[in-house]
Amino acid sequence: MKRKCLGILALGSLLAITAASPTFAQTKKEESGMPKVGDMAPDFTLKYFDGNDRKDVKLSDYRGKKNVVLAFFVFAFTGG
Amino acid sequence: MKNFQQNLKTLEAADTQVVGVSMDSWFSNKAFADQIGVTFPLLSDWGGKVTREYGIYKDEYQAPRRVNFLIGKDGKIMEEQVDKDAIDPTKIVDACQRPKLKN
Repeated sequence: MKRKCLGILALGSLLAITAASPTFAQTKKEESGMPKVGDMAPDFTLKYFDGNDRKDVKLSDYRGKKNVVLAFFVFAFTGG
Repeated sequence: MKNFQQNLKTLEAADTQVVGVSMDSWFSNKAFADQIGVTFPLLSDWGGKVTREYGIYKDEYQAPRRVNFLIGKDGKIMEEQVDKDAIDPTKIVDACQRPKLKN
């Protein structure tokens, strides 16, 4: 009986560790996942509203034509 | 964003397109742009897919960190500014004016 209890405990801890580790791995990845200077910038297409229409901006459309400043900001209506 | 607006003419003269990105809706970002007098596009990364691809999603804010990337004409990242350093864009403005970027 005692042995069975221990077995269940061990299994429990193992499950807890397995469940926690993907979260850990993800956090790590988010911290170190920033592209470095010299890396290719990941391409994207995002929308904005120009007052009349929603328009697309595709990063790779600027390739060979213009430099692009991508300025990520936390929230609208905060800071500047 | 205002700091980039102030430098917009210099950046445009150096063949540089400025875009802001946040996880707000396109509608909020247009209202925000109008309020602070920003004339360049503020893009909506609704859902945060691009923010995550750039590795700057912050759980604590459930939003992107403040980061500026300068991407050259070849599609490669030339400069980065993160968090507090991203408030003053001088480094990026200067980098755009470097002659090698004009080719």
